[in-house]
Amino acid sequence: MSLMLTCPVCGRRNGYEFRYGGEDKGPRPEEDGLTPRAWCDYVHMNRCAAGPVKEWWFHRDGCGSWFTTWRDTTTNLEIQPPEDSE
Amino acid sequence: MTENQRQSPVQFSVPALDAEERDRWPVVLEYADEGEGPDLVDLSHLTRWDLQDRDLQQFRPGGVVVPERPGSCAFGNGVLVNRMNRTQASIWHLNPGEPPGPPSESALTDVTEATVFLALFGPGVFSIGEKLTALDLSRPEPKPPFLIQGPFSRVPCQIVVLERSGETDGGLLFTCSRGYAADMVDSVLSAGREFGLRPAGEKAFLRWLSSVFPETE
Amino acid sequence: MSRLEHLPTLRIDPSLTLPLHYRGKTRYGVSGDTVATALFADGVRIFGRSLKYHRPRGLYSLDGECANTTMAVDGVPNVRTETTPLVSGMRVAVQNVMGFPEFDVMGFMDRLSPFMPAGFYYRILHKPAMIWPLALKSIRKAAGLGKISPDFRTIGTFEERYLHADVCVVGGGAAGMSAALAAAESGLRVILLEARPWLGGCWDYRSGADSDALPLYERSRELAREVADEPRIRVFCRTPMIGAYNDNLVTAVQSGGEDEGFTERYIEIRAQSVVVATGCIERPLLFENNDRPGVMQVGCAHRLARTYGILPGKTAVFSVGHDMGLEAAVDLSELGVEVLCVADAREDGQHPGLVRALTERGIPLLRGWVAARAFGKRHVKKAAVTTVEGTVRREFACDLLVASAGLSPVTGPLTVAGARLAYDVHTGYFLPEALPCGVHAAGRLLGWNDPGAAEASGRLAGVRAAADCGKTVDSDAAEAALAAHPGPESGCKLVTAPVAGKKAFVCFDEDATVKNVRQAIDMGFDVPELIKRFAAVGLGPGQGGIPGHNLPLLAARYRADTAPPRPTTVRSPLVPALIAAYAGAQRDMCKRTPLHRLQERDGGVFRRTGVWKRARYFSDDTECREEILAVRNGVGMLDASTLGKFRIHGPDALNALQRVYVSDMRKVGSDRVKYSAMCNDDGCVIDDGVAVKIGENDYYFTTSTGRAGATVEWIRYHTRFDEWDFHLVNLTDALGVINLAGPDARTVLESITDADVSNEAFPFAGYRTFRVDGWIPVRAMRLGFVGELSFELHAPSSFMPALWDRVAEAGKPHGIRNFGMEAQNVLRMEKGHVILGQESEQRTNLLDLGLGFLWDRSKTDAATVGAVALEQAEDDPDRLTLVGIEMDDPDRPAKDGSVIVDDRIRGYVCTLRRSVTLNRAVGMALVEAPLSAPGTHLEIFEDDCNGQRLKAKVVPMPFYDPEGKRMKG
Repeated sequence: MSLMLTCPVCGRRNGYEFRYGGEDKGPRPEEDGLTPRAWCDYVHMNRCAAGPVKEWWFHRDGCGSWFTTWRDTTTNLEIQPPEDSE
Repeated sequence: MTENQRQSPVQFSVPALDAEERDRWPVVLEYADEGEGPDLVDLSHLTRWDLQDRDLQQFRPGGVVVPERPGSCAFGNGVLVNRMNRTQASIWHLNPGEPPGPPSESALTDVTEATVFLALFGPGVFSIGEKLTALDLSRPEPKPPFLIQGPFSRVPCQIVVLERSGETDGGLLFTCSRGYAADMVDSVLSAGREFGLRPAGEKAFLRWLSSVFPETE
Repeated sequence: MSRLEHLPTLRIDPSLTLPLHYRGKTRYGVSGDTVATALFADGVRIFGRSLKYHRPRGLYSLDGECANTTMAVDGVPNVRTETTPLVSGMRVAVQNVMGFPEFDVMGFMDRLSPFMPAGFYYRILHKPAMIWPLALKSIRKAAGLGKISPDFRTIGTFEERYLHADVCVVGGGAAGMSAALAAAESGLRVILLEARPWLGGCWDYRSGADSDALPLYERSRELAREVADEPRIRVFCRTPMIGAYNDNLVTAVQSGGEDEGFTERYIEIRAQSVVVATGCIERPLLFENNDRPGVMQVGCAHRLARTYGILPGKTAVFSVGHDMGLEAAVDLSELGVEVLCVADAREDGQHPGLVRALTERGIPLLRGWVAARAFGKRHVKKAAVTTVEGTVRREFACDLLVASAGLSPVTGPLTVAGARLAYDVHTGYFLPEALPCGVHAAGRLLGWNDPGAAEASGRLAGVRAAADCGKTVDSDAAEAALAAHPGPESGCKLVTAPVAGKKAFVCFDEDATVKNVRQAIDMGFDVPELIKRFAAVGLGPGQGGIPGHNLPLLAARYRADTAPPRPTTVRSPLVPALIAAYAGAQRDMCKRTPLHRLQERDGGVFRRTGVWKRARYFSDDTECREEILAVRNGVGMLDASTLGKFRIHGPDALNALQRVYVSDMRKVGSDRVKYSAMCNDDGCVIDDGVAVKIGENDYYFTTSTGRAGATVEWIRYHTRFDEWDFHLVNLTDALGVINLAGPDARTVLESITDADVSNEAFPFAGYRTFRVDGWIPVRAMRLGFVGELSFELHAPSSFMPALWDRVAEAGKPHGIRNFGMEAQNVLRMEKGHVILGQESEQRTNLLDLGLGFLWDRSKTDAATVGAVALEQAEDDPDRLTLVGIEMDDPDRPAKDGSVIVDDRIRGYVCTLRRSVTLNRAVGMALVEAPLSAPGTHLEIFEDDCNGQRLKAKVVPMPFYDPEGKRMKG
């Protein structure tokens, strides 16, 4: 696979080694007063942005870490976090 | 099958010339027609432990300090300690003879039975590796021994590159899930056929190991 | 034909002849030949017939850019004979020929060409609609080159290589070798790919224009030696690049030599920097009958002589647009070809040394002249040349017309790497505007034709590549070295000879002419990408190799475009590669349990389920009657080793379990297992299993077979924000499992262990550890998946064969039998136990399956995965419910997965079997809630029911031993 990702433990590796874990949406919302709609949005709705996206990846064939990284969805290249992120 | 014996996941289709039983495990010391190398040795009988804790520095498996950086390895007293990540290390007892007995600390798990343990060493080993994995085993840095966790013949493995000499020679130890043993051995042997890869017994491994770590003698 | 045997440039060994079979005769080539050169040397001139008009075709470029010389070799169709090394005993056959290559019955097609304009089939054959089925048949018959048998199997050894390099250089000519050397000098790992069997590129056979300098072939051999002596450079010959992808992933396919042990090898290279130095091919000259055998490109004629020792003809006319054409004319005349004249489309710019050499040999150089037509039905007999304006014309009797309009850079590798090309007015090339990060170009590809410049541009690219890899380099010096050499020359701009173009072929593979291109443009297809598809220019096996450069030039010229021409897109694979090469060694890696061999011995029929191979049956009886009855009435044993098994330890182990399991895991004890399930965020069931406490903050739990691989990932994902301190150890492969089940199970177990396994000491759901035979350590669980008294024995894998044999031996007096997956499936179905993935699918939640009792809603602080969704789904009336159903006809069970219908789909059959225990056809189904009441009549549709719906009704579950006396007894 052409995609390369940087595992914080193992370093840069072939994308085949990883499992995609979705866009980073932060921790689960508080359960008190959570409407079905809001919960469904948290679980299923994505921004699907064209450009830099912060995502979760799991190093399935390697060290078994979950980590986040930034990927430009228009080039399918891992990128440095944008300056205004975090 | 001989009764009342344990069984390695690896059964080479080559007659054994010399074998001994160790803790009910028939260990082949030498196979017929061992070549000039490269060699593939089944080490599944050697004890492996999994160590997981937030503070790995407090442990001294086999008297060895757990290395700090993931991917680095330490060897001493016949024990190879491989740092896997922030909280985990694998401990491979490479000395034959009496197994070390069950681990005393709860951070340790005996995972000898969970994996198949193979040694692949000799001339052309890294060329065999190139046929089986997209991992860069022959990268110039770091210097061996080092650990790579990743797919080898498509199966997730822990691979320790123990020696590198020249462009393609050297050796590595690796483990993968025990269930893959038959296919892994087939795959490695068929990839290695053009380089003269042959199954070899534990003696060949010990000779190589003592050449890599002369102090073990 | 005798060869020129003493040229220093030869790549053949004339003393070593190799036989090949062609048209019923054994012919002989020599070692080093390609299939095409061997046939040519044997006198073959027509290698096949063209796709549409069945025109005779012959050697043209010698690099396999067109289908002219594709033939069937050893049963494999469409082999590019120009690039396929000759192997002793090859069987070669022509393609697309009815009759003989020289007398093709379909040859009349050529005369029909005026009636087959561009887009003929698209335009003519669609109305009236009735003619299409007829046309379809004849077109199908005529279409395509080569024949493949439906049961054809590729023969050969295929493998893959994954290579890593700092710098990957594509192209092993002078520039490529210089780039590789420069990069390696910085201490980098370099890979050099070359499509031909040797390094050297176009220098390999040339002396060069400058007769005083070191001949180019000697210089290229010098460079090749330097490359060979540099251990940091790995050279792969016969390895054309196939594609390039993100992060400098370069793919290539290497063809194996006779002694190399592989047929083709798929190569994947990950490099930090890539240098493309693929040089040039020739731009075909467009004139009437430019495809006639005897017309060939400069390099083809030159290499036939210099590399293979074969004179390409006796009497030659040259029509060229580049100094390499003049050089070849001089050299071939030296070697014995009578060169009648050299027409050069350029008015000026010729190398003075070459002009002098032509004059010395009395060869007239006609500046501003070009070939207009080749004559001869099957082979060139005469050539007409004219001024580029078409004002004056002369004819020469000859058997060789060497024709080339100029050069085309091989930019495919750059394009697939993401470079955009633009027309360069000076060279007439399509050159990269900007290169992607970490990609460099060098050599003749950029127009650096001067030998010194070619090397210097290679070195510069190598130095820049080294800089990409973080090396400190002096690129200024390298740039200055390049600047000291002459820059790129102005390229020949001639688009076509001044002819009507009815038989001037732009694309050989699909018989597309200059006229067809004009027709397409007249019909409104105004850009090359559209013309390409409508007039079929460059859609054949050779893709853009022949027409790639000419088509945009022609279109721009004919449309009088003021904007610069735009090239068509090039995509990977850049050269044809066998699918088998991509498939590689095809290692199918799957897991086997420690009992695999023993079950094989016992006649097990295995099936791949997920990553495992598991025994499905132990007889031909797919109903598994004997296996089922053994478990129901005596005792049976099942290899359940594939179950997921895990240890979780650490201060937060319980927290983690509480998070993923729906039950209150605080209740997990040390002598009893607890059955529970995991849900996803939608409340849908993803896994079930049991857990037991084995120490302080220390648990052992099982998962279903299919989930074992994802369990660590799942638990870590759902705790990723918590910073909890727990650790997971996957013991799936560490322990094997035997499920010993049946009324006699206890008696069997008692006979092999000293432990008390009575119902009082070891009750249902109990967990005990003991030894079998005093030495085999066992973790035992009293479970009842199959609905009988049963013990699940977990033991370390290396002990499993001994344990299995011991249990089998002890069970012999009770008629113990192996049972497999299918028997287990029926047994548990009779008991109403679910298998996730069979009784559930992605949308099935815990409540649908009737497993709501597992869910502990009091532990809200655990933030259990799925709990939110379960609460929200609880009162949803629109969900499916799992029910037991019974077929009205016990001998006609519906198939798993068939649908429950009335006027629409109302549910699905999950598992349904004719039960040998109960003599009824029963099963489980997911139905809409209104249909779930016992006694409800259902209609089932399946694909084999011939429109007759099957009848069934809802019945209570479980079907077998509803009180669970047998399981718990």
